[in-house]
Amino acid sequence: MTTAPTDRYSVGAAGSYDPETTLRLRVPPTRLHEFAPGYAFDEITRADWALGRVPDNGWSAAPSRRRTWVSRALLACLLLAQAALSLRLHNSAFEDEALYVYAGHAMIDHLFHGAPDYGGFDTYFSGSPALYPVLAAWVDSVAGLTGVRLMSLAFMLGSTALLYSLTRMLFNERTALCAAGVFAVCQSTLFLGNFATYDAAALFLLAWTSWLLVRIASGHWALALTASLVAALAVAVKYASALYLPTAALLLFLVAYRRSDRRQALLRGAVFTAGVTVLLGIGVLSTDYLQAIRSTTTDRAHGTTSFLDMAWDCAKWGGLLFALACLGTVLYTRRDRLGEIRGRTAEGPGARWRLALGAVLTGTALLAPAYQIHLQTEISLHKHIGYGLLFAAPMAGVGVTRLMGAHFRFPQAAIAVGVLALTLGMSQSAQNYGVWPNTQYLIPELAKNVRPGQKWLGQPHEGPVYYLSDMRLTDYTLWTSIYYIDYTGRKGQRLSGPDGYRAAIQDGWFDGVVLDWSDQPGDVQSLIRGEMRSSGRYRMASALTYRTSVGTGHFEIWLRLPGPHRS
Amino acid sequence: MSVVARRKVLAWALAAPVVAGCAPSLTAPIGAGGEGATKRTAPYVPFDVTWMIRPQHDRKYLGVSFPGAPVASPGLDAWIGKAGKAPNLLSYRLTWGTDFPVEDTRAVWQRVMLPFVVWEPSTSTLREIAEGRDDDYVRRTAAAVRDLNVPIALSFGHEMNGDWFPWGTRAATPEEFVGAWRHVHDLFQDTGVSNVIWVWSPSVVDPTPPVPLKPYYPGDAYVDWLGLVGYYTSTGPHTYRTLFAPTVKEIRAFSRAPVLLAETASAAGARKPADIADLLRAVTGRRDVVGFVWFDTAAQADWRIDSSAEALTAFRRVARDTRFGFDVRRP
Repeated sequence: MTTAPTDRYSVGAAGSYDPETTLRLRVPPTRLHEFAPGYAFDEITRADWALGRVPDNGWSAAPSRRRTWVSRALLACLLLAQAALSLRLHNSAFEDEALYVYAGHAMIDHLFHGAPDYGGFDTYFSGSPALYPVLAAWVDSVAGLTGVRLMSLAFMLGSTALLYSLTRMLFNERTALCAAGVFAVCQSTLFLGNFATYDAAALFLLAWTSWLLVRIASGHWALALTASLVAALAVAVKYASALYLPTAALLLFLVAYRRSDRRQALLRGAVFTAGVTVLLGIGVLSTDYLQAIRSTTTDRAHGTTSFLDMAWDCAKWGGLLFALACLGTVLYTRRDRLGEIRGRTAEGPGARWRLALGAVLTGTALLAPAYQIHLQTEISLHKHIGYGLLFAAPMAGVGVTRLMGAHFRFPQAAIAVGVLALTLGMSQSAQNYGVWPNTQYLIPELAKNVRPGQKWLGQPHEGPVYYLSDMRLTDYTLWTSIYYIDYTGRKGQRLSGPDGYRAAIQDGWFDGVVLDWSDQPGDVQSLIRGEMRSSGRYRMASALTYRTSVGTGHFEIWLRLPGPHRS
Repeated sequence: MSVVARRKVLAWALAAPVVAGCAPSLTAPIGAGGEGATKRTAPYVPFDVTWMIRPQHDRKYLGVSFPGAPVASPGLDAWIGKAGKAPNLLSYRLTWGTDFPVEDTRAVWQRVMLPFVVWEPSTSTLREIAEGRDDDYVRRTAAAVRDLNVPIALSFGHEMNGDWFPWGTRAATPEEFVGAWRHVHDLFQDTGVSNVIWVWSPSVVDPTPPVPLKPYYPGDAYVDWLGLVGYYTSTGPHTYRTLFAPTVKEIRAFSRAPVLLAETASAAGARKPADIADLLRAVTGRRDVVGFVWFDTAAQADWRIDSSAEALTAFRRVARDTRFGFDVRRP
């Protein structure tokens, strides 16, 4: 310290300035409040100014407009990411997509234009052929398969948004965003967002049902009937949705119980259940769908996939979200909230209620895997697992927020979980979307050979029927699948199964045959191919090799020889 | 440039890399718009040989064979000069166990000729082939043929009804021949090969001993051409009617596949010009005969088209027919 303005420290000071004692330690005199230290101007103060009361917390947990908009903006970013990740998936129409769309066109012709229904779609579809297929066909006629897939994307984005809203009502915005984030990047969510089948619509309707139930739980008991309508519609769209109705009813009971009392909760649960039961009963009695419900859902044929294989796949596709949901359930049961708000005394739900909510939501994730493991069939498991994950996602959101801790103390935990979920979701969705062979080269080759009125046998036949119908080259009534044949032989006898295929090929009944020849062809494909070779009525005209995400194979186009070789 | 225009340019400049960045690359995973990390070797769309089996407008194959010579033989250009017309089919041999000549075959196709590969199972017995001992080799060959993706006519075990080859009547039964043929054919199909015209190639029944042909026939689904082997010799039959027709008649009892005279020629002599005229007249006059392959060599006898000036003149005259030597690249 060298010098200082003499007058600055001398004015009103306890002692005078002495240049001889400059280097000594000294206690500066108390400064007057009129001067700001180090500044050469006077601080202007109001005579009546007083420091306000400092709050205990730096922020408030109470709802606010800013909080709502920030959360919604983050949700919008999540939805954008979900849309981008879904739209990056790329493949030609899967057989179910093609089947539902051309069945929808047939149903439109049947329902609105009086055309006969040859397909018998109501006997083997896993949802009502008069609902989703008709909607999909209508969208297809306007915007093609891309439009139908975009509709699925809208359904899945809607499901994520409803999940966010539902979780926000049950917990808070932070948990809701975490739940939406974990669900949005799941392989099943990304896959269904670009897949034109019942699933996206059914999942959306289930999400809507759940959202409605939580929303109206404290309202008038009759409002539960509105949710019944949506729930019944979800089941009509896809019969397997009924598996999740008990969860919906229990969710309604729990939420209503917390907000009112047991009697009111039971009343609402009973009204909802009764409403759904009556509506579904009317539906079953007034249609012929019972056989299809049995064959596709309740009495589905058993497969041969081992328990370990299926358990491993379930763990791959939904294990992370399920583990987070389990963690969330445990931690939520132990403690109601993170305790970020000091002195908060509001009464939270009891531990038993918290455990019940967590167990119901998390346990729902096990329904589809358990049922399919029971059936030993892995068909569509990668899609069906997503239904349960929708319900478990709120608890997974709780798990992620608890991992982060109060005041985002450990953000790295959420970042690690998010990166893992994103990586798994992206890679698994791409792999599952690449499982079926792309027909982009097969269809033009077929278009060169298929002529209107020709009879074809095919596996796959759904994709060719869909694409070639659009080119006005064929329609579904002219195609026979490898699953069913009813052939009347030359001697008038009706044949089905292997005998039917054998006789039809020996007679040269089909103008052409399409086969998908992979490393593990089925018995019927092998029989058809062997019969074509031995009969000499067909020649393989084209073999189009393909690669999928799980292997290789080739499509074979067999054409009937111009004339009988045998004299 | 106005402010608005500058902003537009800037927006597009920013948007273009974003859009380009979102486009899937070839190495993206299958299912996400790409083809995975490994490079694809098989063609997307195979060459469709269906129309080549029965060429439209009665067009004919003019084929030639130079035994022992490399495919890209300098003799080919000389032969074209002598014949006055380029062949549209070139026949050459492939010994069993050797790698498929990919580059040579591609060179043949690039010279607008249909490669006709005569596959000789000389190092394995037909029984061994039928039992799958050489499956790896067959699959490797099939993959090479598929990936090459040019049309190929392929005969396996030609002249199986004669006794002069290791796979002939002395070494193998008809069942073994059919078993081996079907096994090789099926392995090709299992590998996804559809660019092959399968040529079943027996020798003409006369002068060979009377061996029934039907037991050797693998079936209509396995055979596209009947590739007959027969020569106009100085002592034997010297007309199509006596040389080939008896064999065709016998085969027509069980097959109506088109006929290719897969190996033929006329020995040097005074009758050669008449033989040539008869051969080409028979080929052009019969709708079920799609062409012939001239065995142009001087081994054992002088089979070359220029063995005499008269023979060459006769060949040049009849080969001038526009139906011969069509463009095999176009239906």
